[in-house]
Amino acid sequence: MGKPVVRIRDLRKSFGTLEVLKGVDMDVQKGEVVVILGPSGSGKSTMLRCVNRLEEPTSGEIWFEDTLVNDAKTNINQVREHVGMVFQSFNLFPHLTAKGNVMLAQRKVLHRSRTEAERVAEEQLRKVGLGDRMDYFPAQLSGGQQQRVAIARALAMDPHVMLFDEVTSALDPELVRGVLDVMKDLARGGMTMLVVTHEMGFARDVATRAVFMDGGVIVEQGAPADVFDKPQNERTQDFLGHIR
Amino acid sequence: MRHLTRALIRRGLLGAAAAVLFLVAAAPAFALTNPDVTINQQVGGESTRFTFTATTDKDAPVSALTLRFPEGFDIRKAYANVVTLQGLKRTTVKASTSVRGQDFQLAFDPAIGPGSELRVMVYSVMTPNVGGTYALGVKYESGGQQRSAEGADLTFSYVTASRSVKLSRYVDQQPWVAKWNSVTALNLFLKPQLIVTSAPLMFTGWLMSLALVGVGFPLAIIGGLMLAFMKMSKIPPLRWIAAAYVNVIRGTPLFLQIFVAFIGLPIAGVHAPWFVTGFVVLALNSSAYLAEIFRAGIQSIHKGQLEAALSLGMTYPQAMQHVIVPQTVKRVLPTMTSEFILLFKDTALLSAVGVFELMMYGSNIVARSGNLTPFVVAAVYYLLVTTPLINWVGKLEARLALAEHGQGAPEPKRRSLWDLLATRRALTRPAIEAEE
Ligand SMILES: Nc1ncnc2c1ncn2[C@@H]1O[C@H](COP(=O)(O)OP(=O)(O)OP(=O)(O)O)[C@@H](O)[C@H]1O
Ligand SMILES: [Mg+2]
Repeated sequence: MGKPVVRIRDLRKSFGTLEVLKGVDMDVQKGEVVVILGPSGSGKSTMLRCVNRLEEPTSGEIWFEDTLVNDAKTNINQVREHVGMVFQSFNLFPHLTAKGNVMLAQRKVLHRSRTEAERVAEEQLRKVGLGDRMDYFPAQLSGGQQQRVAIARALAMDPHVMLFDEVTSALDPELVRGVLDVMKDLARGGMTMLVVTHEMGFARDVATRAVFMDGGVIVEQGAPADVFDKPQNERTQDFLGHIR
Repeated sequence: MRHLTRALIRRGLLGAAAAVLFLVAAAPAFALTNPDVTINQQVGGESTRFTFTATTDKDAPVSALTLRFPEGFDIRKAYANVVTLQGLKRTTVKASTSVRGQDFQLAFDPAIGPGSELRVMVYSVMTPNVGGTYALGVKYESGGQQRSAEGADLTFSYVTASRSVKLSRYVDQQPWVAKWNSVTALNLFLKPQLIVTSAPLMFTGWLMSLALVGVGFPLAIIGGLMLAFMKMSKIPPLRWIAAAYVNVIRGTPLFLQIFVAFIGLPIAGVHAPWFVTGFVVLALNSSAYLAEIFRAGIQSIHKGQLEAALSLGMTYPQAMQHVIVPQTVKRVLPTMTSEFILLFKDTALLSAVGVFELMMYGSNIVARSGNLTPFVVAAVYYLLVTTPLINWVGKLEARLALAEHGQGAPEPKRRSLWDLLATRRALTRPAIEAEE
């Protein structure tokens, strides 16, 4: 095994007196697709958001490749350039077209030329199946289309790892598949991914590892088939029983 | 420069003419001394009263007087009234008058004795439109001799009637105007003559009001943005200062702030041109209101927008500039425009400290004319600006409501009835997705 892309050591996070993460350890190798499961409030989102420091860890270490993310001396913007994130609520920029959304950070952060940014944007939008929606504004797109634009926007930065936080939870059921298909393609293409989701089918098909979290700690992890079919931990069994 | 030259030439010619007259008449006597003429109108083209005064000398009684009006003066309808004053004693003099060409001739019966103040009032002389300095020729008969009176005081001047005065005269002559003005309310609030004369004058005031708010408001936007970012700052003292400023400004009347600026500052030794003091006090006031509008606007942008921008590696200023502020502008535009409308109307308060803006012009003309029409004219000028803006704000708000409703992701947790309805709509439109 080579050097992990993301390495989490004894991560703790408290909101005021509420300790949400109580010591999480995790290594994510290049090309791994890690699915994170767990009941609501177990700290999945918080852990993910600590990786690109949208949340400030209270203690512990988060490494992205050779950089200690939660170090005051680290230029966090440089880390975020290489760590793509897709949110439950899409968060597309409503004043920009699909193409504009994908171009903005390329121009401002990577300082790509307009033509280069445009070329990359068109390529990424075509990859997520929106070649004919480039000049649409978010308000003119369905939820599923918006989420795929958001994925294209993150991919245009050439990230080394992608974070997905329940990206299909806000979608109407019939729109979920389109987004999951894009994510599957991405996984097969070798992208390193951390995916918080309740989509068991996706987890079984694509994930290289399943992680079950509860109460701010990792309770159980392993190959998806093992975790889903022969859960060892009582809480995992309970959770999976509810989900099925 | 041209005017000056012309005036000098005219005066030179007059002097020469007077000298010639003097030589021709070669009159030694001083039967009429201190001749003087005044007129009761300042503009041309008016029926004008001329008042000629002189002192009769001890020499001889004056039996006839001829006033020669310059070419172009219409004296066909002129009539006169003659009195003499001896000390406090006022005597009406019987005079027969006749008009011959430009000469208005008076014959006194009996002749006016020596040592009186002679006062001749000639009414209904129609002056020509073109203004300038003119001279009245004066001849008189005394002791059987023709003489002429001389003196610089025999000149008079008036100005050419302005376009609005001409317009007012034209309006005056319209038959419907008399009927219109016979209705008290119409006459008091919508007197046509005053509309045409006050509107051009008040236009200047309107421009001044626009200039005050036109300079003040952009400054207020800059100040408001600064205050808004100070209020959201992580540094407590910046927050306190901004909060204190906003509270003081919003918690006291603009009227008071104007008085402090215009009366307080000069006492404190700060002297600025009133225009500067005017737009500065407006800007200081409005920036406090705009600060709240901007802060609310920025904070109304879903925090996911900032997170999305940051997660792409953008810096906080980049995220503000390219993601948050552009969305804020759209959102605050209606409230900002309303604030502009308020500020524009509030320029009227500056009239209280003597700033010559629209309201000041209006109340001055009202005071002079005793008629309220200028206030109506002022109202129209204000509405000329505010009405289109109010309409625009309405449209902006409607469009914004539509855009906000249609756009963005459905939030995981919905609260209001409005959102609930929006969800239902979203759920019942699979048609869009079917094309995928
Ligand atoms: N900014 C915050 N301030 C205070 N408490 C927070 C904040 N963010 C999260 N929490 C709390 O932390 C706990 C974990 O939240 P988190 O969002 O990480 O859970 P999750 O596993 O993602 O749950 P879900 O499946 O509902 O998304 C919850 O109890 C939540 O209320
Ligand atoms: Mg979550």
